[in-house]
Amino acid sequence: MRKQRGMKRWVWMTGTALLGYLFAMMLVLGPADALARNIKVGIVDTYSGPPAVYGNDALNGFKLALEEINKQGVLGGKIEFTTRDEKFKVDVALAMAKELVMRENVDLLVGTINSGASLAISDGVAKAEKMPFIVWTAKDEKITGELGHRYVFSTAENTAMAGKAGGVGLAKKPYKKYWIAGDDYAYGHAIADAAWRNLKALKPDVEKIGESWWKIGEPDLVPYLTSISAAKPDAVIFCTGGASMTNCLKALKSTGFAAKIPSWIHTAIDHAVLKPLGAEAPEGVMGTIQYLFYYPETPENKAFVQAFQKAYGNPPGFPAFNAYITAQLIAAAYKKAGTIDKEKFIDAIEGLKVKGPTGSTVEMRACDHQAVYPMYFGTTKKLPQYDFVVATDIMTLTGDQVMPTCEEILKIRKK
Amino acid sequence: MAFDLSAIGSQFFVGLSRSMILFIVTAGLSFVLGVLRVPNIAHGSLYMIGAFSAFSVTKMVPGATGFWLALILAPLVVAAISFIAERALFCHLYQREHLMLLLFTFALSLILGDLVKITWGAEYKSIMAPKIFDGSVRIFGASIPKYNFFLLIVGPLVAIGLWLLTNKTKLGKIARAAAVDREMVGAVGVNVSWVFAFAFVFGCFMAGLGGALMAPTISITLGMDHNIIIEGFLIVTIGGLGNMWGALVGSLIFGLSQAFGVLFWPQFAIVFPYTAVVIVLLLRPRGILKSVW
Repeated sequence: MRKQRGMKRWVWMTGTALLGYLFAMMLVLGPADALARNIKVGIVDTYSGPPAVYGNDALNGFKLALEEINKQGVLGGKIEFTTRDEKFKVDVALAMAKELVMRENVDLLVGTINSGASLAISDGVAKAEKMPFIVWTAKDEKITGELGHRYVFSTAENTAMAGKAGGVGLAKKPYKKYWIAGDDYAYGHAIADAAWRNLKALKPDVEKIGESWWKIGEPDLVPYLTSISAAKPDAVIFCTGGASMTNCLKALKSTGFAAKIPSWIHTAIDHAVLKPLGAEAPEGVMGTIQYLFYYPETPENKAFVQAFQKAYGNPPGFPAFNAYITAQLIAAAYKKAGTIDKEKFIDAIEGLKVKGPTGSTVEMRACDHQAVYPMYFGTTKKLPQYDFVVATDIMTLTGDQVMPTCEEILKIRKK
Repeated sequence: MAFDLSAIGSQFFVGLSRSMILFIVTAGLSFVLGVLRVPNIAHGSLYMIGAFSAFSVTKMVPGATGFWLALILAPLVVAAISFIAERALFCHLYQREHLMLLLFTFALSLILGDLVKITWGAEYKSIMAPKIFDGSVRIFGASIPKYNFFLLIVGPLVAIGLWLLTNKTKLGKIARAAAVDREMVGAVGVNVSWVFAFAFVFGCFMAGLGGALMAPTISITLGMDHNIIIEGFLIVTIGGLGNMWGALVGSLIFGLSQAFGVLFWPQFAIVFPYTAVVIVLLLRPRGILKSVW
């Protein structure tokens, strides 16, 4: 009996002391915490299956940028993030975005590589919940074009920019008779339309002598290439990506097509595409991309590549570039806004300019929320110092050259 | 648009070489269908495993030797896998109705697909044909890639081998007899169970060979199983179910209609082989050659 009473008293005293301590801590730390809390970024992207290569590259770029940013902090706190694997599925992506907003209370969303998922989050979460959402890898031009709105942004290059870059680059070449070929789905046709429209506008005497479209995932492109070469075009615009890109490059090499007829394929000069092919990659293929780790050889780019290589063991790809500028824009916008308010963040990021990892300026265009940066147009070649094929004869196309104008965007949105 | 003869010639030979791969894969599919009455959807997965195994062999043994070794070892790996599957699973199921077998082989294809993902990962793989296959050769003024030319030689060799096996060996004759009347073959004292095992493993060996031969011209990736199996069943159907020469005829129709479709009407090339299939089935609903079903 005595023992029990003693025990009760002990529990009572400890409890009071603990409560008192907690109360005191709340008084001391509470207000300070409310002023300088961390900014929470929710990332939805693909971290399993083949597209995981791009998802992880983007995440690494984002982490590297945050290391630098968090040394100084933003608004007295840090930028932290939490990731969700959407498995390249639209419904999963949408559910995870909602979960990040409702349960994790994130301040903004970023992601993903899947165009369908990006559009779904843009409409179902960003627009509906008034939650800022920055798309960093998906390339559908509708994201900041036709279906754009106040709460969605893109730091990714899109099909309209890619096609325009191809058109502008090809207009500087002497070819007149073109053939267009590609994967028979939205991405293929979007690139083809944009490239041809822009090429025709800049150089009206070009002529399209034919088109061929193969089903997505078509394993054997040799019959297509032999029939195209029979038509004797001056150059070919190929609109393909993913596994078909590898098939296409292999067939271009094995048939000797690449040696005879010049061709342009968007992202053909991407290191992620060329490296697995090694010496098998064809030479003389033209391609476009927004980031190359070996060009431009600016001190900024060299430092960026070195830091990335040291941290993750391989050079950065274009998703790392996109994600790095995303982090820079986020940090700069919060600093400019001076608060973690969503509407003020959007006002601040509109028209914001930062110096990207290559040293060139990146602007978040106010009219359509699309990041503006230069693109590179190069031709594949095997150089002795690399055991893979790289881009050479690189032309830099400025942001203004590759972007659809604000008037064009607003016209599409009104429709 | 005018076409010169050499363009038509190249397209013909390229289409023919594509037909050869299709023939090698579908001959195995048709053989299994004919002898075992099993519509094996997992045949495409075995083709995929053939290509992935070829990749592994060329990684272990670099250079041209690796490629030739892969052509022998990859089909053997596939044969070994199919032998285990046959003895452990299929041999208990031959008496089931077709729908059950269809569902079962479909399930097996999903399982094999996942096993490939676990073993080799989800990234694209690529292997190189030996240096001697670089470039093109000219036949009657038509230029065709050397590797496709090589396939044009391999295809007929395989066809001759198949003919010898099924017509000149005792095992082949028994297998053909089992395709027509399995009870009778059992009644004359043949161990039908082992004949079936042989037929299944042999059919799957062909899938592996097709995968290994195809590997240098494509990116080796998950999903290549589904592409081939749909074409495979169409070819087997138009040729005549279970008839290996039907598989040859079907492959030629499919491969050549695709190649010429691409040349003459490139925007709509995708529909050509399928249109050919529809026409054949309208005219001859049971296939061009005699079906064993």
